[in-house]
Amino acid sequence: MAVFPSEQWFREVREVYNSDTSLHSGGGGACDSKAGLGIGDKYYKIEFAGLECANVGVCSESDLSEADFIIEMPMDAWVTMIKDVQGNGKASSNQTLNSLDLDHEDGIARSPIDDQYRQDLFYRYNQNFQDFFNASSRVTTTF
Amino acid sequence: MILRGLLYVGNEPSKDSETAKPIQGVPNPTYEWMGLTNEWGIRVKPGEHGLRLGDVNVGIYGEVPERWEDQTRRPRGALPRPGIPPLPYSLRSKHEMWADCAANLYEEAIQRRWIPATEVPWDLLAELPEDVERSVCQICTELSQCANTELEIITYWQDQMSYGYFEVKQYLATATFDCARHLEVLRKRALSNGGGLGLESRGRVNRMILESSGGWTEAVVYLYLLRGTYLTRLLAGLLEYAHNDAESYIYSHMLEDHARHLTYGYDHLKYAATHHKGGAAIMRTLLAIGEGMFAAEIEDPIVKSAMAIIFGGGIEGGRTFGMERYLLLIREFLQDYLELCSWLGVDREETLHPKLKQYLEI
Repeated sequence: MAVFPSEQWFREVREVYNSDTSLHSGGGGACDSKAGLGIGDKYYKIEFAGLECANVGVCSESDLSEADFIIEMPMDAWVTMIKDVQGNGKASSNQTLNSLDLDHEDGIARSPIDDQYRQDLFYRYNQNFQDFFNASSRVTTTF
Repeated sequence: MILRGLLYVGNEPSKDSETAKPIQGVPNPTYEWMGLTNEWGIRVKPGEHGLRLGDVNVGIYGEVPERWEDQTRRPRGALPRPGIPPLPYSLRSKHEMWADCAANLYEEAIQRRWIPATEVPWDLLAELPEDVERSVCQICTELSQCANTELEIITYWQDQMSYGYFEVKQYLATATFDCARHLEVLRKRALSNGGGLGLESRGRVNRMILESSGGWTEAVVYLYLLRGTYLTRLLAGLLEYAHNDAESYIYSHMLEDHARHLTYGYDHLKYAATHHKGGAAIMRTLLAIGEGMFAAEIEDPIVKSAMAIIFGGGIEGGRTFGMERYLLLIREFLQDYLELCSWLGVDREETLHPKLKQYLEI
């Protein structure tokens, strides 16, 4: 049983995601992106390379200066999203990254260096990230 | 066998050099063309992402001139041949089409292609209340006209772009295919759940885009900065209120394709604004004209009420929550738009068209 958020939890999700290609609906193709996740006051880096999630790990906020974009939400919003995925097998329509981005005043994705081109990757690769979080439905999770 | 017959008229050539007979009228090849090259010995190795278009931009092959005077189809880096008649390429300056990301976007587009026929879970479409189905079908009708406009304006200008900027031409080829895919999937959605296509759009903005004759950059201002930024919000809203997994698949994938188009569009406008003297001022003038046309289009009650019905789950909900949600969508689009204009150095906040400004105040 893995605790959300933790490096262990992300590693388990990554293993599920990489081992079952039926979970990959995102564009049916390669995703090359280094992103950051801001979960409350914790930060994680996540890297997609080709058809896989290549890396995921804990980091500091300053480590994310090279990230294409950072998805950032308060802890309770992340927990609600993950609990929703756990309960439904995938995100409900109001708990997808797209919906949460629309619902947050300034969106949930930002570029650490205000680079429009790299921030756009959040929209271009949105489904890959959604698929990754949907894969967490198969990871037994505590909070 | 038919092809074989076409390829070999008469006896098949012998591969045996002793029995091969010289063909009358064909001289011995001299191979004088060998050695006629600008740069030889290039050996680019694939990187971790394979051998990508941008990777082979090495040596003279990677030199992208500010102005491409050659009016032929000569591939960039190939040796020119005297006497080739010119072709009517009217866009021959880099600032007229360039975006640094074009080569990467080309690769991304071909890797992330999707197939509406088999990949959309069509069997998961479910019956919707008639007012909602009619609204979805009306939006499909409108969006398919937008996709068709995008396809037509790209191909119109693509034809006039010099080969010196082949990365852009190739990327735009993928964008037209994306548009064709959008036309396909929207038509299929409208015709697969008990409805049909709705009323043709008045098409004010479509016409404005198609008639933007001042250059490709002008078209990009209207197509991507103004209307494209709006369509992003519209598609994201449709995705949020998708009725089933089939619609989720359609809108999410359209959104990803569209985001790629906008990345090119914004990147090109940034390049044009910073590399062409007076470019930003021209954009500001174009936007002042275009905003008026765009304001008139979003005043049109059809898309407005259809989206409100989708957001509100029916006519009743559309009158209250649905319309509020649609007006929020417009406000968020305008905030995105103003932010982008500011990033491009064509600030519009003070001079935004009054009819659009009122949406910010709702």
